[in-house]
Amino acid sequence: MDYFGQLLANGLVLGAIYALTAVAFTLVYGVVRLVNFAFGELFMLGAFLTASLMLPEVRLIGVAVPMPGFSLPVAAAGAIALTALLGVLVDRIAYRPLRNAPRLAPLITSIAVSVVLQSLAQTIWGAEELRFPEFHLATLPPVVLFDSIYLSVMDLVVMATALAAMLGLSAFIARSSLGRAMRASAEDQMAATLVGIPVNRVVAAAFAIGSGFAALAGLLYAQTYGFAHSGMGFLPGLKALTAAVLGGIGSIPGAALGGLILGLVEALGAGYLPNGTAWKDAISFVLLVGLLYLRPQGLLGKPELNSAGRGSLLGGASDFGAVWLRAAFATFDGWLARAAAGGPRAALALLAFALLLGALVPSDYWLRILTMVVVYGMLASGLNVIVGFAGLLDLGFVAFWAVGSYLTSILFVLLLKDQFGVAPADIWWLLYLNLPLAGLVAAGFAVILGTPTLRLRGDYLAIMTLGFGEIVRVVAINWMDLTNGPMGIRGIPAPNLFGIALGSPRAQFFFALALAVLVVFAIARLVRSYVGRAWVAIREDEEAAEAMGVPTARYKLYAYAASGFVGGFVGVFYAHSQQYISPLNFSLFENILLLMLVVLGGLGTFVGPFVGALIWIVFLQLALDLPFVQAYPETRFALLGVVLVVLMVFRPQGLAASARVALTMSGARSKEAA
Amino acid sequence: MSPKSPIAPIVHPTGLIGHPDKAAPPLLKVENLAVSYGRIRAVDGIGLHVEPGRIVSLVGSNGAGKTTTLMALSGLLPLTAGKVAFAGEDITTLAPELRVARGIAHVPERRRVFAGMSVRENLVLGAYARGDAVDVASDVERMVALFPRLGERMGQMAGTLSGGEQQMLAIARGLMSRPSLLIMDEPTMGLAPQMIDLILDTVLEIRRQGMTVLLVEQNAVEAMRLSDHVYIMRLGRIVHEDSGANIDPERVKSFYLGADA
Repeated sequence: MDYFGQLLANGLVLGAIYALTAVAFTLVYGVVRLVNFAFGELFMLGAFLTASLMLPEVRLIGVAVPMPGFSLPVAAAGAIALTALLGVLVDRIAYRPLRNAPRLAPLITSIAVSVVLQSLAQTIWGAEELRFPEFHLATLPPVVLFDSIYLSVMDLVVMATALAAMLGLSAFIARSSLGRAMRASAEDQMAATLVGIPVNRVVAAAFAIGSGFAALAGLLYAQTYGFAHSGMGFLPGLKALTAAVLGGIGSIPGAALGGLILGLVEALGAGYLPNGTAWKDAISFVLLVGLLYLRPQGLLGKPELNSAGRGSLLGGASDFGAVWLRAAFATFDGWLARAAAGGPRAALALLAFALLLGALVPSDYWLRILTMVVVYGMLASGLNVIVGFAGLLDLGFVAFWAVGSYLTSILFVLLLKDQFGVAPADIWWLLYLNLPLAGLVAAGFAVILGTPTLRLRGDYLAIMTLGFGEIVRVVAINWMDLTNGPMGIRGIPAPNLFGIALGSPRAQFFFALALAVLVVFAIARLVRSYVGRAWVAIREDEEAAEAMGVPTARYKLYAYAASGFVGGFVGVFYAHSQQYISPLNFSLFENILLLMLVVLGGLGTFVGPFVGALIWIVFLQLALDLPFVQAYPETRFALLGVVLVVLMVFRPQGLAASARVALTMSGARSKEAA
Repeated sequence: MSPKSPIAPIVHPTGLIGHPDKAAPPLLKVENLAVSYGRIRAVDGIGLHVEPGRIVSLVGSNGAGKTTTLMALSGLLPLTAGKVAFAGEDITTLAPELRVARGIAHVPERRRVFAGMSVRENLVLGAYARGDAVDVASDVERMVALFPRLGERMGQMAGTLSGGEQQMLAIARGLMSRPSLLIMDEPTMGLAPQMIDLILDTVLEIRRQGMTVLLVEQNAVEAMRLSDHVYIMRLGRIVHEDSGANIDPERVKSFYLGADA
């Protein structure tokens, strides 16, 4: 009972923090139907700003800056105000221009904003943890309940603050004029405008309040655990989003309930399940997946929120930005379309160029980089099948990649070498067997994971797949017997053909290129077939596709399977070319990166993923020559984020939009080019 | 259906005389208004004069550009060309919520009440642009006097009202901003005949109280009978205009059916 009581208390503290952040997600989603992934980062900034304002001096970008040294309440108020301001700024720059854009665009910008904020925080405050300054209430002796449950005074403060903030917000939404205007804007923006509500300002207010809540949660979290770190907002952000979805996104009591449930389940699970602390991150996602399967609208949500939203996930055009800029994008798009319409001849020319590059590049270093380009290009192509062609935002694609990599590594190293003492060189042919085998296993996984998501659309789908990806990663870390856990698997043999080792960078590049030809050819055949047309129909308008007799569920599963197959297939080669894998290789961040590469190069095109990978990986290397980037390597990710936000704001349909149409519908191109 | 009663001049808060009077300056003056959806020009250079205290109708078949015109007037759609003046002020580029504060209320097509909010909340929201909380309660009472049915439904969610009640609520919500010009888009659409009579009577009552009404109505015959002035739109242009009494229903029919006159 003592133990239970203590866990309960811990769970309540954690739940209060999740609930506050969940409120931020739910409030903004309720008003503008946007999952603002960046709340996790605003949570982190709230912690950093509070800690900085409390210290006498902070090192920012390596320079010592004097700080006021406020007490916690003053610093917290300042940090909340600053974060709220930042939230409004983010809305103004990155989201408001996309209010009427296709749904995928604001989701991608919000992910990109998240990457930008996290990288910038790392640049400003450094990669190390910033110790959270002590507050005098925290030094008071703990309160003892029932002679057995210890609660620090700050724990009580956390709970009381969270409760007061949420009650205050509920009253504000229910009673105040601005709150009423928020609810009206959430229901019908046009009608709200017609009664004289300045909708943009109301949305900005929602962002300010949401960001303030995220900052409050972040500073309470940092206070409780004693540190601030640039990556600290990531997982709590995901958990809070999970909590918001659990409770029914859009509902404030739902967010509070979801946060509380999540905090309690996590604390109790960590305490009672065998090895629970290690698995606690998976618990919340399992809960999420289970709930979305049974009750997609969440515990207190309204069912209609799980709708497809406005038409095509990718279509539509921006009316934002100068005419010449839009014209420039359109011209560039036209070139891409013409290049993409080059057909087999252009593809062969591209291949010849790649072969020539492989044969002539003298440096091993650059050959390795080019190999990475091809590998990431292939992985991005796999993701592109589901996002670009079928229009389903998948944030769990890395899981398939991980399945392929782990399958071959476990077979080669942990099973055959370590258990049976078989030398990898003797069973070189197993690699060629593993390629399709891993593809099939990953495709199987994809179908199993895809089935429960069939009823979900848009944002919910993204959240569910994200949950799946995280579960696979947590399993990879914690199922020590199967995966070697966080140590990873070493000594994976390089590819080998009839006893000839293909370990040299040049050989690996050609190997990768051969696989890429297979992958692109297979995807191209699929996309140009009946299946591909069904995918595009689903992407453009799922309801219309269904009405036209396309069995959307079946074709979505095909898309998952095809995407999973590519992920598993490429994962095998990835493991053998890296010769070492660990769960770190398959984080959600990798998935986000792949998504950004696809968007950068052109969603729903064959070459796009490779173009994106080429631009990004070559830039990643070239930028390293700059002294500033050497000191702050993460700024490159911030730049990628900024590029994507700009791209989305000015061209929400993505680059190569006309090429995308021309790929599957001959004759459509002339209309687009006109 | 009440007959067109002789109406005494009413002095409106804006200082304009609320009686048809040829000399009065127009409350709303639209010149060369054009609105495009991409490459499609939905409204192609129209002009409107709405004099204070009158009911002016815009009639025409589907796709004529009536709703687009109204949405442009309340600032929901950007203009491709043209000028809009309201009470002598150029409001061409004014934000929609500020137009409400100037005295233009728009009761949109399909009513669009806030379904998840109570009737009272809908009404209170109607006064959002006014910023004077004091008189809101008395205005809610005025709306109940105008539509007694709404009084019985005050605490009910607007989404649970019948179509006719929702239309009453939408009109009342528009009136809560104390407009001098009430724009109404198809207020009788999909309503039972009795309800249509009630709504059209209300339009007359609204004018009697000194407001000006710009009406889009599918039922051209009723609209002509009700209106002081009628504009007929076809394919984004105004093809005919005349006072409500003079307009010849046979000619209107020919415009609807597409014959060029």
